[in-house]
Amino acid sequence: MTAVSPQPGLDWHGEDVTIADVLDALNRVRHSFARAEAGEEGQPHPRSCVMTLVSVAPNSVEETRAILASTAIAKDHPSLSIVVRDEPRVRSGRIDASVMAHPIDQQNHPAACELVVLRVQGAAGAHLAGLVDPLLVSGVPVYLWWLSTPPFGSAELNDALRICDALVVDSSRFERPYNSFLALSDIALKSHPHMGLGDLQWERLSPWRETTAQFFAPASRRHLMNGVSEIGIDYAGEGRGNRIGAAMLAGWFASSLGWKLQRASGGGGGVMAAIYQAEGWRPVQFAFRSVPRSYVMPGEVSALRIAGTSAGQSFSLSIRRDPERARRPEDARFASLHPAGGEDDAANELAQRKAARHLGVVEQNRESLHHTSTGDSPGESLPARPKVLATERRRPDTSDVLLTMIDIGDAGTLRHVQRVPPEDEAAILQRVLFMGARNPVFNRSLIAAAELMRAI
Amino acid sequence: MSTVTQPNPLAEGLHDYRVADPSIMVIFGATGDLSSKKLLPAIYNLAKQRLLPAGFAVMGAAIDDMSDDAFRKRAAEAITQHSRTQPIDQTVLHAFLSEAFYQKVDFSKRDDFKALQRRLDELDSSRHTGGNRVYYCATPPPTYETIVEQLKATAMTTGPGFHRIVVEKPFGFDLKSARELNKIVQRVFHEDSVFRIDHYLGKETVQNILAFRFANTIFEPIWNSNLIDSVQITAAEELGVEMRGAYYDRAGALRDIVQNHALQLLALTAMEPPIAFDANAVRDEKVKVLRAIRPLSEDELAHTTVRSQYSKGWVLGERVVGYREEHAIPPGSLTETFAALRLFVDNWRWAVVPFYIRAGKRLPKRATEIRVAFKKPPHLTFGRDAAAELETNAITLRIQPEEGISLRFGAKVPSAGVKLRSVTMDFDYASSFLVETPEAYERLLLDCMIGDPTLFTRADEVEAAWALIDPIEAAWRDGRPPLQFYEAGTWGPAAAGKLLEADGREWHRP
Repeated sequence: MTAVSPQPGLDWHGEDVTIADVLDALNRVRHSFARAEAGEEGQPHPRSCVMTLVSVAPNSVEETRAILASTAIAKDHPSLSIVVRDEPRVRSGRIDASVMAHPIDQQNHPAACELVVLRVQGAAGAHLAGLVDPLLVSGVPVYLWWLSTPPFGSAELNDALRICDALVVDSSRFERPYNSFLALSDIALKSHPHMGLGDLQWERLSPWRETTAQFFAPASRRHLMNGVSEIGIDYAGEGRGNRIGAAMLAGWFASSLGWKLQRASGGGGGVMAAIYQAEGWRPVQFAFRSVPRSYVMPGEVSALRIAGTSAGQSFSLSIRRDPERARRPEDARFASLHPAGGEDDAANELAQRKAARHLGVVEQNRESLHHTSTGDSPGESLPARPKVLATERRRPDTSDVLLTMIDIGDAGTLRHVQRVPPEDEAAILQRVLFMGARNPVFNRSLIAAAELMRAI
Repeated sequence: MSTVTQPNPLAEGLHDYRVADPSIMVIFGATGDLSSKKLLPAIYNLAKQRLLPAGFAVMGAAIDDMSDDAFRKRAAEAITQHSRTQPIDQTVLHAFLSEAFYQKVDFSKRDDFKALQRRLDELDSSRHTGGNRVYYCATPPPTYETIVEQLKATAMTTGPGFHRIVVEKPFGFDLKSARELNKIVQRVFHEDSVFRIDHYLGKETVQNILAFRFANTIFEPIWNSNLIDSVQITAAEELGVEMRGAYYDRAGALRDIVQNHALQLLALTAMEPPIAFDANAVRDEKVKVLRAIRPLSEDELAHTTVRSQYSKGWVLGERVVGYREEHAIPPGSLTETFAALRLFVDNWRWAVVPFYIRAGKRLPKRATEIRVAFKKPPHLTFGRDAAAELETNAITLRIQPEEGISLRFGAKVPSAGVKLRSVTMDFDYASSFLVETPEAYERLLLDCMIGDPTLFTRADEVEAAWALIDPIEAAWRDGRPPLQFYEAGTWGPAAAGKLLEADGREWHRP
C-alpha cells in the first residue's frame, strides 16, 4: 500500500489499498476533524449524518459528475458520500482511494461532509456490497445512485441492491434507453416493496404532473376527470428510446386513474397511438407525436393536451413549454449531436452493436496489443480505456416556462404561466432522495409505461 | 365551511403538492407594511413554487388612489426587496403581477365596497374563480369591524364559492375586547372561515413539536410529571421596539408575546394527543391546556411574575439606547419589555411541573426554544465524584433561529476510571431534510386558500389566553410586582433568575 496524506489529518489518499485501510483512514479523518473543530479546550460536537450516498461511476467523466453532485448535496446535508469508479475491464485488480472531510458552514452546528472515492480496477468492482458495506454508517439510509446505465440483471447490480435502501438512476441517460427502461421496470415489479426506486427523468416530469393535478383539484372540476377522452403528448426526438418521458406520463395517468391498456400502435415519424379503457367501458385515446423543437432536447416532453366532456360540459387543458422562451445557443449544439434514430433506427442499432463488439475485442486484447506499439513490456503500461463519448442527452440549462391554457364550457380561455426553475443534477437528486426514493406512484407509472412501450 | 372531497388521485406522490381552488385574495391595507414585507413576497414565493392555482388573483384594496399598474410597480418593489428567495425570477414576477389588481377603498364608504364588488365579479368570470374569496385584513384591529360590516352590507360574504376572512394578531387587547372582536367577525363569518394568524404556528418547528411528541413511541411515555422536572419556554429577541413603539408601549411583552406565541408553545408542549391532525381536534386539545393553567393568586402574582424594562446597553457589539429613549416611547413609560412567569398546568399529566416562561426584547440574541428538563436519576450508581459533571437529561426544541431538537444525556468519558459527562445529540432541522424550509406566511396563506384552519387560533383559544393574562396585566398596572430594569444585551433582570433559584433551578442559556 502507498499512502499519501496531502493535508495531514483531514485528507488521505492511498494507492493499491484494502477496504480495511480505507476504513482506518476514514476513522482517522473523522477523529482529526472532530479535534480540529473542537479546538484546544472545547468538546467535539456530535457528528451528524443524514444518509450515505453511494454513487457508481463507470468512467472519469461520471466520477466527476458524482463528486460534484454529492458535494453539492453534502453542503447542506451532513452525509457520507462514497463514489465508486468501477473499471472491471482493467485486468490488474487494485483499489485506489481518497478520503476527504470538509466542514459545512452551519453556523453553530458544524458538521462534516465526508467523501470517499474508490477507484476499483478488476473484478473487485463486481462485489460492490463487499467494498462499500464496511464503510456505511449504521442506522442511516443508503442510497445507490448509478450513473449512466446500471448493468441490469447482472450479479453486480443485484449484489449492490442488497446493501441499499433505494436505487436511483436517470433513464434519460441510459445508453440503450428502450431496453434499459424495460429492465428498470422489471426491478420495480420484482424488487422488495421496501426497496426504493428513483429516476431523475421522472422527477423532471413533476411540473407536468403538478399542473395537471392542479387543474383537477377544485371540487367543482373533479367530475371532469371522468370525462377525459383524449390526451395528446408531444415529445422531441424520434425512436422508441426518446418516448420514455411521454410513456411515463401516460403510465402515470393510466395507473392513477385505473385505466386499462386496450391496444397501441406505432407509426413512422415518432407517431404513436394508444387506447385505454376507463371505468370498464369508456375509451380514452392517447396520441403521441414527435415534434422537433429547437428548444427541446430529444426525449423531453414539449406539450400535453387533455380534452373531454363531462356532464355536458366540454373542457380542455393545454400545457406546453413556452415557445417564446429564449434558448441558449449551446442547446442547439447539443441537440444536433443527438442521433435522431433513438433505437428504432435499424442501421443505428446495428452500428451500436458492432461498436460494442469492437470495444469488447479491444478490451480483451488491450494489454497484449498495447506493448507491441509502445515497446513497453506487457502489463507495464496501459493505454487509457478507449472512450466512447456518450451523447449528451441533458441540456445544461433545465429551466422552462410552462404555459397553461384552460377552457371550460363557454368561459374564456384562462392562461397561466409557471416557471420551472433551472435545476442542476444535485437539486433533482435531492428531490428524489427527499422522500427516501420510495415512491409507489413512480413504480406503478413505470410499470404501466413499460406495458405501453412493449405494446407499441 | 370547509368542504370534504375525495382525494385527487393525480395529486398522489407529488411531495410539494398542496393546491387551493382558484380564488381572489383581497388584501385590505395592501399598501401597508405587512402587505409589502410579508404578504406580497409570500404570495410571490408560492407562485414560484407553483403552488398557486391557475386563475388565482390578488386584489389590493386601500385608501391610496392608484392604478393597477402603480400597484403592480409597488408590489414588484416590495417583492424585490423582501422576498426570502433571491434573485427575483422575472418570469414568475411578471406572471404574478399580471394577476394583481388594485381598487381604492375607503373603508367608511359603502360605494367603494360596491365598486370593489363589481371588480371582483368581473374577475370571477374571467379567471374561473367561482366567487371564491379570501379577505385579508392587513390593517389595524380597529378597522376590522368596519370592514366586516361593509362586506356584509354589500353582500360580499354570500353567493357562490367560499368567503374567508384573515385577521392578524393582536386579537383584542384583553378578554373583553377579544370577545367583542370575535362577536363582530362571527356575526358575518362562520368560525371555520375565520383565520386568526399567529405566524409562530406556521413555523415548521412549531408543527414539528406535534410530530416529535405524537409520531414517536419513545417520547410520549416520558412526557409527564413522573419524569419531567420542569419546562422552560424562552422567546428572546435582540431587537428593540424598532418602529412599533406606539403600538408596543400600549401592549408590552406580556400582550405582545406571552399571550399568544408563548402560550401557544406551552399548549403544544403540554396538550394531550389529538385524535387526528385536523383543525378542531388539535385546537380542542390546546384549549383544554389553556383552561387547565392555574390562575395566579394575588400573592403569587407578586412572587411568580417578573416585569422589567431594558435600559441602555450593548447588543451584538453595538451600543443601544434604553427603552424610554426609543422612538415614540414616553420618557416615563412603565411598559414591560421583559416578562417572566411561572405557571402550572393543573391536570394529571402535569401536576407539580412548573412551566417557566420568559419573553423579552434587547436580550443577547434571538432565540425561541422549549427546554424540557428531566428529573435526576433516583440513584447515583457511579458515585458522586464520577457524576460531578453530569447534568440531568434535557430535550430542547429549538424554534428559531436554528430550528432543531437536541437531547442531552450522560456518557462515560474514555479513560481508565469512571467519569461521566453530559453530551448532546443534535438534530438540525434544515440540514436533515433535503428541502428548503418555507416562510411561515407562505404556509399560512396557502392554508387560508385551502381552507385548513389547523394552524390558526380559534376564538375560544384566544379568549382562554386572555382570561389567564388579564389578572396578571391588572396586577402589573397596579405596580405588583414593581417594574425592574435590565441592561440591554443581558438575559433580563436579576429577579428573573431568582424566580427559578427559589425553586432550586436556573434558566437554560439558549
